[in-house]
Amino acid sequence: MKCPECGYEAPVASFRYLYNARIDASVSIRQCTRCQAWLAIDELQGTANKKIGPGEAPWGKSAGIEDLAEDIRPGK
Amino acid sequence: MGETAETLKEFEQKQEWWWAAEKKRSRRLDYLRKAMWKKGAIGGLYPAGLYIDLERPVMQTEKAKELEYSPDPYVIKFAKILAHVLDNKTIFITDHSQLVGYLGSLPNMITWDPTLAAILNHEVVNDPTSIPEPMDESLKIISEVTGYWAGKSDLDKILPHMDLDDAMKVLSGAVGWGVPLSRGGYSGKDYEYIMTGVRAFEDIIAELDRKIDEADEKAHEPGATREICDLYDKMNMWEAMKITLEAGIRYGKRYARLAKIIAENFEADNDRRQELLQIAEVCERVPAKPPRTLQESLQYDLFIQLFSRNEAIEGAWPARPDYYHGPYYERDVNIEKTLTKEDALDLAGEFLIRAAEVSQYKVKWAREGLQGIEGTWVWTLGGVKKDGSDACNGMTIALLQAARLVRVANPTFAFRWHPKVKDNVMREIFECIRQGLGYPSIRNDPILIANAMNWHGHPIEEARTWVHQACMSPSPSTKHGFQPMRMANATANCAKIIEYVFTSGYDHIVNMQIGAETPDAAEFTDYQQVFDAWVTQMKTIFSILVRPVNRARMLAPKMTPRPFLSAVSERSVESGLDVCDPSINRGNAWITAFTWVENADSLAAVKKLVFDEKKYTMAELKDALANNWEGREEMRLDFVRNVPKWGNDDDYVDGIMLDCLHAAAKFSRELKCPSGNNWPILPENVSGNIHYANIVGALPNGRRLGDALYDGGISPGPGLDKKGPTAVLKSCSKIDHITDGRAFLLNQRLSPTQLAGEKGYQLWKSYMKTWADLGLDHVQFNCVSDETLRSAQRDPEKYQEVIVRVAGYSAHFVDISRKTQDNIIQRTVQGLG
Repeated sequence: MKCPECGYEAPVASFRYLYNARIDASVSIRQCTRCQAWLAIDELQGTANKKIGPGEAPWGKSAGIEDLAEDIRPGK
Repeated sequence: MGETAETLKEFEQKQEWWWAAEKKRSRRLDYLRKAMWKKGAIGGLYPAGLYIDLERPVMQTEKAKELEYSPDPYVIKFAKILAHVLDNKTIFITDHSQLVGYLGSLPNMITWDPTLAAILNHEVVNDPTSIPEPMDESLKIISEVTGYWAGKSDLDKILPHMDLDDAMKVLSGAVGWGVPLSRGGYSGKDYEYIMTGVRAFEDIIAELDRKIDEADEKAHEPGATREICDLYDKMNMWEAMKITLEAGIRYGKRYARLAKIIAENFEADNDRRQELLQIAEVCERVPAKPPRTLQESLQYDLFIQLFSRNEAIEGAWPARPDYYHGPYYERDVNIEKTLTKEDALDLAGEFLIRAAEVSQYKVKWAREGLQGIEGTWVWTLGGVKKDGSDACNGMTIALLQAARLVRVANPTFAFRWHPKVKDNVMREIFECIRQGLGYPSIRNDPILIANAMNWHGHPIEEARTWVHQACMSPSPSTKHGFQPMRMANATANCAKIIEYVFTSGYDHIVNMQIGAETPDAAEFTDYQQVFDAWVTQMKTIFSILVRPVNRARMLAPKMTPRPFLSAVSERSVESGLDVCDPSINRGNAWITAFTWVENADSLAAVKKLVFDEKKYTMAELKDALANNWEGREEMRLDFVRNVPKWGNDDDYVDGIMLDCLHAAAKFSRELKCPSGNNWPILPENVSGNIHYANIVGALPNGRRLGDALYDGGISPGPGLDKKGPTAVLKSCSKIDHITDGRAFLLNQRLSPTQLAGEKGYQLWKSYMKTWADLGLDHVQFNCVSDETLRSAQRDPEKYQEVIVRVAGYSAHFVDISRKTQDNIIQRTVQGLG
């Protein structure tokens, strides 16, 4: 996987796993061990999508009435 | 004026309630609120500008050295050290204030008690941000103080008397949270003795003198019995109580003198001069004599709280301010009309501010577990009187209104709802929730009174006096019912129960065997074996936590006495025994069950995918967990998405939740406190779900090491409750909230746009009716939009005053970690109606 911020390349597991605020999505946050940037990772694809800044929500918005989150139940 | 009114309206329309509050509150409250130093740690560190107060540690140490070789028994030495601090600590009066007293020597100082534990003192030495300048001088003082108390502090003394195996497991931080100390936890108070206006310190001192005289006379009558032997300890205890009460009276009079000196020599403004003279009169009166007015009553209460926190680190603030101050409000505002409602609102608001600024230096795990606040100051409002009638009064309304004006995150309120609560009170509560305070939480009074009678055998009249001892747990405020100390280490990190099922009790985070050595999970051939191992781990973890507390409660009266708290407790004044003595306490213990729901969701996932559908083997699952799901994302998502989750009214997983709770409830009756009473569990989290994120390994519910745990209690996993608010309530209602545990926290997030106007109130009221009809004991709400919260992450300076409900407490959003912020944002926004 390649860090979009500094270009560092290494296996996904070499990027420090931070957390996945949305347990039911395959997007997580990992930290580049070279430039320390927080990255949004697609865990299924094993790719780093982008650097995360303050206030950014790479996993989508809250679930619920406002229906802003992607409905990921099977068959939906 | 026109421009101001328009601006206020604009803020309200934009739901920027914090700016609206600034426009609405009096000039006095505005000044006091802005002069207040927030003391909560941000993440785990104290913010810039706050410093560790070295004045008190130096006083404690110098007095302890002076008394080291005196013939006084320990309890009297301890009381003298407390008196020395109260007699000599720096005091100050904040401009425009009407209530006085603070723990530290300056408003931005955090007090540190070096007598409590070497582990705390080590954190002071190594604190990267809070040691006051000049650093070299401060470090020299800190070194001298910590050097003196090494081996002499409470925890250092108590630990060798513990089961060291249990103690090591507790202190590993993996399964418990806190230490078993009578001077470090949550102290209930005997408010029925001290706050009903019948007596104050001078009355108690007179009673203590009588007790000492009677005992002395009895001790010198001809004869020799065991009873006479015990009298000597009792006389020492009574003497120690008296020393602390006399010091408390002198402390009040120091403030009276200071207020008078400022008024007569320095204050140029005539109105303020009169206020200072009023403060002088109040502090001459209380705490020596019972209060007569609302101001005296609040000041009296504040003094008691401060004295108690000079004696111990109190992580909570059990209180029922409307019930005990209400009669004075009624007298001053409605009968004698010596105060206007606005005057009373100022006093109520200032009382909240004075409480909000109270601060005691805590270890880092405590700061992380209670991000953004100083402790769980959850004040109880509403409820019923001893005769079952509605206890709400003018002070209930004043406090709810004041909270919206001063918008402190701590204290928060929890409202004891019951069917007789009037609509005007419910509207005030709704306004607090709608305006984004995150409080009051709502408690079901009839359910919790029955619960208190069921679990601890409190008589109904006593059960009806209950206050929140911390975030959630009810405790009566009566002679035998109140609990003087809830030791925080009986807080179980319950996600470890299911984790240990897969590791045979070995903890791979702290690298030690903590749980039971249950059989290898890879060899399990049916679900019952998994559940049996779960029950074994649950019993093991709960026992590891409860045994040290029981032991510490037995040791506390002699090794870590509380003479002041004893002096304001009827049972101690009467008996001459320390307030923690189990023989004079009915018992009101509970195990706080952090990170509980992960167990039900994990067990459901194992049952369905491994044993029902046979899609995976236990060996595969064990291996995936051991590798933190790395390289198994599809499998992980299967465990998240394709099994029933708690909170969707699905009997498959809800039944497993009940199995877990019933097993815990059964064991709760086998665990006994030293008073002989039960240890029910109480699922809730504070911000432990974040603290434990890097302590709990991967779980079968699809969580990885590092991920936040669920937000706690019986709240469904964030975003996993997909069938709406009624389904959440129905799942929760399958639990018997009287017999299955002591209380059950439920977080819900509501849409601020949906709650607007009268329609919003009616929607919420209808939701609350369903909640009450279904017999849930607790619910609390967040009502701040995603947009506001994300904006606050981007631009924290502009959103300093946004408050959110974390778990059993509220905090300013900008004061909690990014991980906690994200966790709150991900909670499902429930649509009502």
